[in-house]
Amino acid sequence: MSAATGVIKDLEERGHGAFVENVDDDRMVINMGPVHPATHGVLRLLLELDGETVISCEPIIGYLHTGMEKECEDQNWRSAVTIVTRMDYLAPFFNEQAYSLAVESLLGVEVPPRGKYIRTLMAELNRLSSHFVWFGTQALDMGAMSGMFYGFREREVVLDFFEMVTGLRMNHNYIIPGGVWEDLPAEWEPVCRRIAEIVPNRIDEYEELLSRNPIYLERTRGVGVLSSSDAGALGATGPMARAAGVDWDLRRDVAYDAYGDLDFDVPLRTDGDVYARYEVRMAEMRESIRLIRQLIDGMPSGDYKNMDTKLTPPPRSELNRSMEAVIHHFKLVTQGYTVPAGEVYRAVESPRGELGVYAVSDGGTSPYRLRVRDPSFVNLQCLPVMTLGGLVADLIAAIASIDPVMGGVDR
Amino acid sequence: MTGWIESDRWAERARELRDEGWMLMDLCGLDRSGLGRSVVNAGGAGTAGAGFRNAEGTGGLYGPRFEVVVQLLHALKKERMTLHVNAAGDPPTVPSVVEVWPTANFLEREAFDMFGIQFEGHPHLTRILMPDDWEGHPLRKDYGVGKVPVEFISQPLMQIDSPGQSPETVAAERSVDELGQSGPPLRTVEEG
Amino acid sequence: MGGVSDAIGANFVTARLDKLVNWARKSSLWPVTFGLACCAIEMISTTMPRYDLARFGMEAFRASPRQADLMIVSGRVSQKMAPVLRQIYDQMTEPKWVISMGACASSGGVFNNYALVQGVDQIVPVDIYVPGCPPRPEMLIDGIMLLHETISKGDYDASRVAG
Repeated sequence: MSAATGVIKDLEERGHGAFVENVDDDRMVINMGPVHPATHGVLRLLLELDGETVISCEPIIGYLHTGMEKECEDQNWRSAVTIVTRMDYLAPFFNEQAYSLAVESLLGVEVPPRGKYIRTLMAELNRLSSHFVWFGTQALDMGAMSGMFYGFREREVVLDFFEMVTGLRMNHNYIIPGGVWEDLPAEWEPVCRRIAEIVPNRIDEYEELLSRNPIYLERTRGVGVLSSSDAGALGATGPMARAAGVDWDLRRDVAYDAYGDLDFDVPLRTDGDVYARYEVRMAEMRESIRLIRQLIDGMPSGDYKNMDTKLTPPPRSELNRSMEAVIHHFKLVTQGYTVPAGEVYRAVESPRGELGVYAVSDGGTSPYRLRVRDPSFVNLQCLPVMTLGGLVADLIAAIASIDPVMGGVDR
Repeated sequence: MTGWIESDRWAERARELRDEGWMLMDLCGLDRSGLGRSVVNAGGAGTAGAGFRNAEGTGGLYGPRFEVVVQLLHALKKERMTLHVNAAGDPPTVPSVVEVWPTANFLEREAFDMFGIQFEGHPHLTRILMPDDWEGHPLRKDYGVGKVPVEFISQPLMQIDSPGQSPETVAAERSVDELGQSGPPLRTVEEG
Repeated sequence: MGGVSDAIGANFVTARLDKLVNWARKSSLWPVTFGLACCAIEMISTTMPRYDLARFGMEAFRASPRQADLMIVSGRVSQKMAPVLRQIYDQMTEPKWVISMGACASSGGVFNNYALVQGVDQIVPVDIYVPGCPPRPEMLIDGIMLLHETISKGDYDASRVAG
């Protein structure tokens, strides 16, 4: 237990609930969060300050712990998608995708090309919508409130498409082991093309708003620096690592789903500060648009999910004709499918970094153990390194640039 | 690649792996008490294609109840490795690798919180997700899911089909099963 | 308009005190920024351009519970968060209202396990439950409209006992 934790605990035990305490003449312990407008949810930070300078910073998490890993052990393999999608709630498709890849590896089933393309399309759109929220909150925390309105304006456009395809704005439960749950609706293409048309112009607007804004530059350049060696040691992935010069992107280097067929660049910066992370994410959004265009053009026809009746309930029309179909349907609905015993770790590149799922099956109908390695959880450990010796205001910029989602951190 | 390793060799092996360029991606606990011996050492027919599982070299190793499962990544070779560290003893104990990979800090705290695995040498091994005064380790197999029965209490306002009766009498007549779900009043045979 | 307005002309409007107070209260509710999980994102969306909660005098989310009179519990409440939630509720000044947004806050939702409080009404009194997982912004606005209606019909000086 650090000194700072001791002070706060002591105060809490005495029933003061005090938030500020002078440790000695100069230093001060401040409890920031768990309810604070700049901590992006229920993150709590225990700060030791010398005036405005951060001496120590200790993230305290768990305020959103939902027991999802345990809950998944209580679900069958299909219904666990409902649980995992709610982990990182800004990037639900990535949760589903990582989980589905893991289960497919255990099952040894193939996803038809159309299924892969739909997944990749939804994932890239989701990367956009997630980065829009990041843009909004980063701008808001830097005092540029209009950025928030801009970001959420575009997010609604993408969410409309999600709603059209999956029926929900968030927590879609759409990507399932074996493919995707439903085919794209008939009129998907013009809507999707429209998004790919609108968004680049809007990103230009964002750049106009912030990229050369002197206040923004002043507050982000050289702030919250994370070196590439620290990023490696602390396990940072995603834009955090790429802004520090770590050239690693699972989409390119491991190429799951349809990424192998696509042509895209991985944005890289070397400064490792908040501004570099800003640049990386902005460039990633443009790359996502490029990917989305390719995915629309190259969308194959055919099945959108693996039609093996041991895995997928037969179509409704067959239930009236085939007794076998009824049996399969009944088995899948009441019991679910079994997954061969074994273990697997599969990862995808979520907007925040490597989202890994480690699944263990004992051969039954529900996961024996389901572990999710969430990028926010690991990246959050970089916060003390990034902020020590800096100002409190820089801490706010650093938190926003990590873009933590507490649902993913605490699960 | 998958490998098993005893906890007393883990700290040393971790250093070697780090020097070879392996990065720690994930570290989590695993309670094997529900897994049979055969399952643990099975190749997992479906996993062969994934390239993460290779049953060779595991022999007939069947360790203690708890394991620490470590996912390593070699970015240059583009390889992944899964290592199972046997956590023997009561409480199960393995050496901490925070010194080797600082990223293990939160991950080991989570494994401690969820499984009660002690990490020797960890600088600050406290609960991370659950409240400090929580009892038990939730992801252990002998720790229940913690379900509470859902109660569906009969709503007097809903009973529009019984105008002559007061809501209280209707509510009293309704039977409540063990799950707390209320059904319509049971009818006797004579009535039927 | 009775005898008073006859005497002093059209320069004054008379109203019953409770109506006036309730009208003022419902027209400028200040929610506390209490974003927890997925629903928080939808709560933020509600205040953003498309849904524009400012139409109802509610865009000012206050970070300090002392300045707020509405708590929108948006998301799942964990056992660890429950004492914090209660403390924030206690810090809010009377009169105060609570909206339980989403299935998790209302009943635990799909998560029935050790980590979650099965319904925030076990900790604070709830005025409006908004169903959905997460509720659409329209749904939240509907819940807020219902709350406005409740407030405008309510007893303005009744002290609300927290339970």
